[in-house]
Amino acid sequence: MPKTNLIGAYIAAILVMLIFTLPIIWMFMGAFKTPVDIYSIPPIWWPDFSYLENFKTLLAENWSFLLNSVIITLGATVLCMIFALPCAFGLVNFQFKGNNFLADWILSTRMMPPIAAAVPLFMIFNGMGMLDTHFALIIVYAGFNLPFAVWVAMSFFRNLPKEIIEAARIEGCTWFQTFWQVALPLTKSGIATVSTFVFIFAWNELLLALFLTSNEAKTFPVVISTFSTITRTYWEFVSAATVIQVLPPIIFTLIMQRHIVSGLTMGAVKNG
Amino acid sequence: MLTVSGAFVRTFEPNNKPSLLLEWGSKRLNKKPGICFVTSSSKRVSNQIIWVKAVADVASKNEKKTKKGTLTRDERLVRAAFIVPAVVYLMFMSIFPFVYSVYLSFFQAKLTRLHKKFYIGFDNYKQLFSDEVFLAAMKNTFVLTTASIILEVILAFACAKVFLALREQRAGFFLRSMSILPMMITPLCVALIFSYILNPTLGIFNYILSGFGVEPISWFGNPNLALWSIIAINVWQWTPFMMLLMLAGLVSIPTSLYEAASLEKARWWHVARWIELPAIKDVILIGLILRVIDNLKLFDLVYITTRGGPGDSTELLTFFTYRQDFAFFNVGYGSAAAVIILIISIIVTTIAVSFLRRMQNA
Repeated sequence: MPKTNLIGAYIAAILVMLIFTLPIIWMFMGAFKTPVDIYSIPPIWWPDFSYLENFKTLLAENWSFLLNSVIITLGATVLCMIFALPCAFGLVNFQFKGNNFLADWILSTRMMPPIAAAVPLFMIFNGMGMLDTHFALIIVYAGFNLPFAVWVAMSFFRNLPKEIIEAARIEGCTWFQTFWQVALPLTKSGIATVSTFVFIFAWNELLLALFLTSNEAKTFPVVISTFSTITRTYWEFVSAATVIQVLPPIIFTLIMQRHIVSGLTMGAVKNG
Repeated sequence: MLTVSGAFVRTFEPNNKPSLLLEWGSKRLNKKPGICFVTSSSKRVSNQIIWVKAVADVASKNEKKTKKGTLTRDERLVRAAFIVPAVVYLMFMSIFPFVYSVYLSFFQAKLTRLHKKFYIGFDNYKQLFSDEVFLAAMKNTFVLTTASIILEVILAFACAKVFLALREQRAGFFLRSMSILPMMITPLCVALIFSYILNPTLGIFNYILSGFGVEPISWFGNPNLALWSIIAINVWQWTPFMMLLMLAGLVSIPTSLYEAASLEKARWWHVARWIELPAIKDVILIGLILRVIDNLKLFDLVYITTRGGPGDSTELLTFFTYRQDFAFFNVGYGSAAAVIILIISIIVTTIAVSFLRRMQNA
C-alpha cells in the first residue's frame, strides 16, 4: 500500500477511535470531579485523579448491591453452564429424530424479548415468595442465557473429531464419562469463552432486575438507575458507578475480542 | 488403578487437527478411566499420531451391547438426561410465559388485585389498536429500528474499510480494539454517559457547540429531536459490532481481486459493488437480523434518557409494556402489548433461525 494512503488510513482510524472512546473517557473523568466541579461551565478538562471521595461514598452506601451483582452473575453463569453443556453435547452427539428442530427451537427462545416474560415470571416468584431474592434472578438470568450458551457450545463440540467420541464409546466409557473426561477437557477454552459471555450479559441486565427485585437483591444497575431521578441527577455518583459497572465489560472486550464476533452471532460468523 | 484391557492403533490424517490431540495427549496420559493419547517419535509416522487407548476395567463393564439402530431403555434414559433438563428449563422460561401472557391478555387485571380479574375477550387488543400511545410506540420502534440499522451499516462499512487498510499494522490493531469498546458496555451506562454529555445545561456537547455560536439544544426535550438522539446513541453503541462483522467478511477477499480491480482502473464504487458487497452480504444479513431483534428489546436507553417523552415521541414497545405493567399495574393490557411484541419477534426469529442454521452448516 502506498505511504500516503497509509497515513490517511491512520488519521481516519484515530478519528474513529476517538468517536467511540471519548464519550466513555469523559464519563471516567467525571468520576474524579467534586460535586461542584462536575457542574462547572466551562468544564474542567483534566480532573485531579487523586480525588476518590465519589467512589468512597458510593461504595460505602452501595457495596452490598455490588456484591449482589457479583453473586447473581456468577451464580447465573454456573447454573447456565450446568444445563447448557450436557444439552449441547447431547444435541451434537446423539442422533435422533427432531435433533435439528430442537436446536432451532432452543435458538429461537434466545430471541424472546425479556419484557414478554417479565409479568409471568413476576407472578411465579411472587407466588413462591421468591421475589427480591438472589435465587430468583439467578434462575432467570441463567434461563435467558441458556439458548445462547447451548448454541455456541454446540459449535465447539461439533469441532471435536468424531473419532475421539466414538473411541471412548467403543472402549466402554459411559456417555457421562465421555462427556466429563473426554469432551469437556478438550473444549476448555471454548467453555471459558461462553461463560464469560454469559457473565457479561447477566452483568449488563437491567429490565428484569427492575421487575424482580426491590430491595434485598437489587443489582448494581438498578441502583445506578436510581441516581438519575426526574428532579435531580447525582452526576458524581452516576459517573463513579458507571466506571465500576463498565470495567468488567471493557476488560472482557479487550481480552476476548477474537471471540466477540463468533460469540455474538452464535458461531455463524468466524472472526476476521 | 488403571488396567489396560485393550489397545489398538489408529492413524490420523494431518488435517484432522493432530495438534489438538498432541497437546492434550501429553497432559492426560496415565489418567483413568478414559482414553489416553500418546505421540510417537518414530519417523515413519511423523505426521501422524498413534492413538493408543487404555481403558480401565471399570469402564468396559459399563459397556452396553446394543443392536445397531435400536437403543436400550437405559441408553435412552441416559441420553434424555443430557438434553431434557435444559429443554424443560427453557420451556419454563419461554413457553410458560408466552401461554400465561396470552391468557392474561384476555382479562382486565390489576397486578395488585390479581384474584379479581374479569374476562373481557379481545377488548384489550381492540383498545390497544385504538390507543394512540401504543400506535406511536409501534411507529417509533419501526423508525428506530430501520434508521439505526441503515446508519449502522453505512458507518460500519466506512470504519471497516479504514481498519482493513491497517490490518497488518500493530497500531491499527490497537486502534481497532479501542473502537469496539462501546458494544459490550452496559446499555444502562451508555444511556447515562450520553445523558451526561448531551445535558442541555452542563453537557459538554452543547458547550462545544456554543463555541461555534450554536444556542443550547435540548437533545431529549425537543419532541422532534428526542427519537433521533436515541437513534444516534444506539448507532454509536452498535456500529462497532457491525464493523467487526464486516471486517470478518472483508478479510476473506483475496488481495489479487483488489489488484485486478486496480489494473482495470475500477472506481471505488465498482469495487464496493462487485467485490466487497458479495463477500460481506451474508454477514450483513446476520447483523441485520440480530440488530432487529435487539432493537425490539431496546429498553434501557429510553428508560434513562426520556422515559417515552416528550409527549409520546420516544415511546417504544418495550417501554410502553413496562409502563402498563409496573407503573399503571394494568397487567392484562400490558400482556396484550407483550403478546404483540412476541408475535413480531417470532416472525423475525423464524427468519433469523433458519438463516443462522444455514450459515452454521455452511
